[in-house]
Amino acid sequence: MVFPGVTALDNVDFTLLAGQCHGLVGENGAGKSTLSKCIIGDYRMTAGQLFIQGKHIHIPSYSVRKSHEMGIAIVHQEFQLMGDLSGLENIFIGRYEKKGPLIDWKQLQARGEELLSYLQCDVDLKVKVKHLRTAEKQIIQLAKAMLDNPKVLILDELTAVLQEEGIQNIFRIINLLKERGIGIIYISHRLDEIFQCCDRYTVLCDGKFINSGDVKDINKQQLVKMIIGRELKNVYPPKNQVFGETLLEVRHLCAPKAFSDVSLEVKAGQVVGISGLLGAGKTELIHAIYGNHPIVSGEVLVRGKAVHLKSPRLAIRAGLGVVPDERRILGLNMLYSIKDNTILASMGKFRKWKVFQDHGKEAKAAFDINKKLNLRYYSLWQLVSKLSGGNQQKVVLAKWMLRDCDIFLLDEPTRGIDIGAKFEIYALINELAKAGKAVILVSPELEEIIGLSNKVYVLYEGKVMDVVEGEHITQEVIIHDLLGVKEV
Amino acid sequence: MSETKEFIEKNNRFRGGFKSFLHEWMILFLFIVLFAISCISSAKFRTTDNIMNILRQASFISIIALGEFFVILIANMDMSITSIIGMTSIFFAGMVVNAGVPMFWAVVIVFALAIAVGIINGALTVYGHMPSFIATLTVMNIIKGIYFIYSKGLPISGLPESFNFLGAGYIGFIPFPVILLLIVAVTLHMFTQHTELGRSFYAVGGNSEASKLSGINVKFIGILAFVFSAILSCIGALGLTSKTLSGNVSIGENLLFDVMTIVVLGGTSLTGGRGKIFGVVIGALFLQVISNIMILMSINSYWQWVVKGIILIVVVLIDSNSKHD
Repeated sequence: MVFPGVTALDNVDFTLLAGQCHGLVGENGAGKSTLSKCIIGDYRMTAGQLFIQGKHIHIPSYSVRKSHEMGIAIVHQEFQLMGDLSGLENIFIGRYEKKGPLIDWKQLQARGEELLSYLQCDVDLKVKVKHLRTAEKQIIQLAKAMLDNPKVLILDELTAVLQEEGIQNIFRIINLLKERGIGIIYISHRLDEIFQCCDRYTVLCDGKFINSGDVKDINKQQLVKMIIGRELKNVYPPKNQVFGETLLEVRHLCAPKAFSDVSLEVKAGQVVGISGLLGAGKTELIHAIYGNHPIVSGEVLVRGKAVHLKSPRLAIRAGLGVVPDERRILGLNMLYSIKDNTILASMGKFRKWKVFQDHGKEAKAAFDINKKLNLRYYSLWQLVSKLSGGNQQKVVLAKWMLRDCDIFLLDEPTRGIDIGAKFEIYALINELAKAGKAVILVSPELEEIIGLSNKVYVLYEGKVMDVVEGEHITQEVIIHDLLGVKEV
Repeated sequence: MSETKEFIEKNNRFRGGFKSFLHEWMILFLFIVLFAISCISSAKFRTTDNIMNILRQASFISIIALGEFFVILIANMDMSITSIIGMTSIFFAGMVVNAGVPMFWAVVIVFALAIAVGIINGALTVYGHMPSFIATLTVMNIIKGIYFIYSKGLPISGLPESFNFLGAGYIGFIPFPVILLLIVAVTLHMFTQHTELGRSFYAVGGNSEASKLSGINVKFIGILAFVFSAILSCIGALGLTSKTLSGNVSIGENLLFDVMTIVVLGGTSLTGGRGKIFGVVIGALFLQVISNIMILMSINSYWQWVVKGIILIVVVLIDSNSKHD
C-alpha cells in the first residue's frame, strides 16, 4: 500500500486462521489501520496478494462491497450508529425485512433477538441508541456486523472507549465467536488485552512487518521491545537545559468525561511533553488550559498569578498560543492568504492612525517571520490551502511567534506532515525553548515526546499516571505508564 | 538589498494567478459587457437621464444589500430585512405625521428599533443556536404583525416635502441617493478591508473555530453582522419612504429576493468568508440595468421575475460548484 510520498505498508505478511484471534499491534502510524483497510477493500494494495478462504482475490476489482460478500466484517472504535434510531433499526438499517411495501417489525424484532442470543447478550433493542451505555452500543455494533454471518471479523480498537466490565464482555464474545469458527483480527493499544484474548500476534512498525508468532511463547516485555523495535534516530536537536521562572502552572484541573485532577508546571525554556493513548484527555487538557473547554474545578497560573481563562481571547492576552491538532479545521482559515493567516492574532500591531490596518506593514512582518521559519511559498497573498501540510503548520506557528507568545501549546504539531518538515518543526520547537518560551507538546508519537521533552506527563484515562524528568524519559517507562501498568 | 527585492516579489498580490483575479471580479467584467451591449443596442438607454435613473434606483437597494452582505459573509442569512424596512417606514411616518415627533428624533428612534431587532436576530442565532434562517424568518413575521396591527395595513402619507430630498434630491446633476451610496460603500470598504474588526468578519466566515482560537470574539461578530444588516435596511427604508413621502407596509415586500440575488451576484459566497463591498454594488447595478433594459424594450414586467430567478439560479450554481481554493 503506497500513499503519495509514503509507503504505508511495506511487504507485510499476515495470515489469519479460522477460529483464531489474531492480535495486530504497533505504535500509531505503524500501519495497523491501513492493513485492515486493505483487507476490507477500502484501500487498494499496490502490490501483493490477498487470499480469502484460499481463494485468490483479484485486487483491481476488490471493494468494500466485495469483501462484505466474501464474509469480512469490521467494527470500528468510533460509533457508526444513528443516535435517534432504536438499536433494532441501527442493526437492520438499509436491510429491512418487508411485508409488501411495509416494514415487518415483528420479523425484525425476532431476528434482532436471535442475533443477540447468538452473542449471548441482553440489550433492549427498542431503546434509542443514544440512551444506551457505551458497552451496549458496542454490542449493537457487533450485532450489526454479525448480521451476514461473517467469516472474518476485524475489531479495530473496540475496547478503547470501554470500561473493564465491558472489555470482559467483549472477550467473552470473542471466545464465543472463535468456538464457532470465526477468525478475528484484534487491533488494540492495550497490550494486556492481547495476552488475554489473542492466540497469535503480529507486530508492525513504520509499515514494516516485525514479527509474528503465538502469544503463549512471549511475555509482555518482549512484545514491548518488538513494538519499539529500533534505535532512536538522531533527528532531535540537543534539548535546552537552561530554565527560567515557572511560566505556566495548572493545579488540580478537572473537566467531566475528559480528565480529572491534572496538575502540571512548565518553566521558561522547558519543553513539557504530554503523552497518553487516544481518549486519555490530552486534547481536552490543552483546550481547557486555553479556555476552550469547560472545567469544573482547578486553576491555571501564568507567571505565578492565577488567571481565569474563560475564552481563547483571554488566554491569548495572558500570553498563550495554541497549535491545534486539526490544522485545516482549527488552525487555519483556508480561505485566507498566507499573510492574513500569519498576522491574524496580532493585527493590532499593524495600525495606521490607530484605526486602519496597514497592509504593507502586515506583509513585511509576515514576510520576515516566514523567512525565519523557512516557509516555501511564492506569494504572501497566496491562499494557505495551496501549501503543503508541513508549510501550513509553519504558518500556524508563525502566527503565534509573530504574536510573541510566551507559552506555546502544541497539539500534535507534526500530524500528517512529511518527515523533512517534521525535522524542521522539531528544530523550531527547540529554538522556541532556547528563546525562553514555555512549550507544552502533545503527540501520539512517543519518539517525538522523548526526543524533545525535558519533562513528560503521562495521562491515563484522564489522570496523571506519572511524571518523568530528564534522563528517566525512556520508551519503556512511558509505554508502561501509557498502558496503565505501573510495575516495570 | 536582496531581501528587500525578495519581499517585493513575495508581496505581489497578482501572483495568486490571473485566473483567481478574474474569478474574483467576474461580476465586474460581466457588468461591463452587459452595459456595453445595452448602450450599443438601445439609444434610450445611453442617455444621461436614464443612466442617472438607474444609479438612483440602484442606490437604496444597494445599501440594503450591503447590510445582508455582512450576514451572508459569516455564512448566515437575514430574512427579516423586509420587515425591518416595513417597520421603519410605518413607524417613521406614524411618528412624524400622527404623533408630531420631530423628524430628527423619529430617525433616532427608528434606528434604535432597527438595532434592537438586529440584536435579537443575532442573539437568537449566536446564543440561542437557532439556524439564522428560521430565527430571522420568525422575527420577520412577528415584526410584520406588529406594524400591521399599528397601521391596520394602511399607508400613512403626509410627510413634509423637505424629506423628499433624501430619495429624490440632486446635488449638481448627481442624485443624492447615489452620493449617499458612495459614502456608505467607501466607508464599508475601508471598514472591511482596512480595520481589524472588519477583517474579522472574513475570518469568522471562513473558519469560525480557527478564528475563535486566534482570539477573535466570534459571538460579538455574529451579533454585529445582524445589527449592520438592520441599520443598513433602516437607511434604505428611509430612502424608499422619502420617494413617496408616505409610510407603506408593502414597501419592502419584494425586496428580499432582489437583495439575495445582488449579494450573491456580487461574488459573496453563501458558505461565508468571501465577498467584496464593491462587488455587491456592481451586483445591484447589474440587476438594475437588466430591469431597465427590459422596461425600455417594453417587456411585460412579470418577465423580470423569471429572468431574475434564472440569474440567481445560475449564480448560485456557479458559487456552489466552484472550488474555492
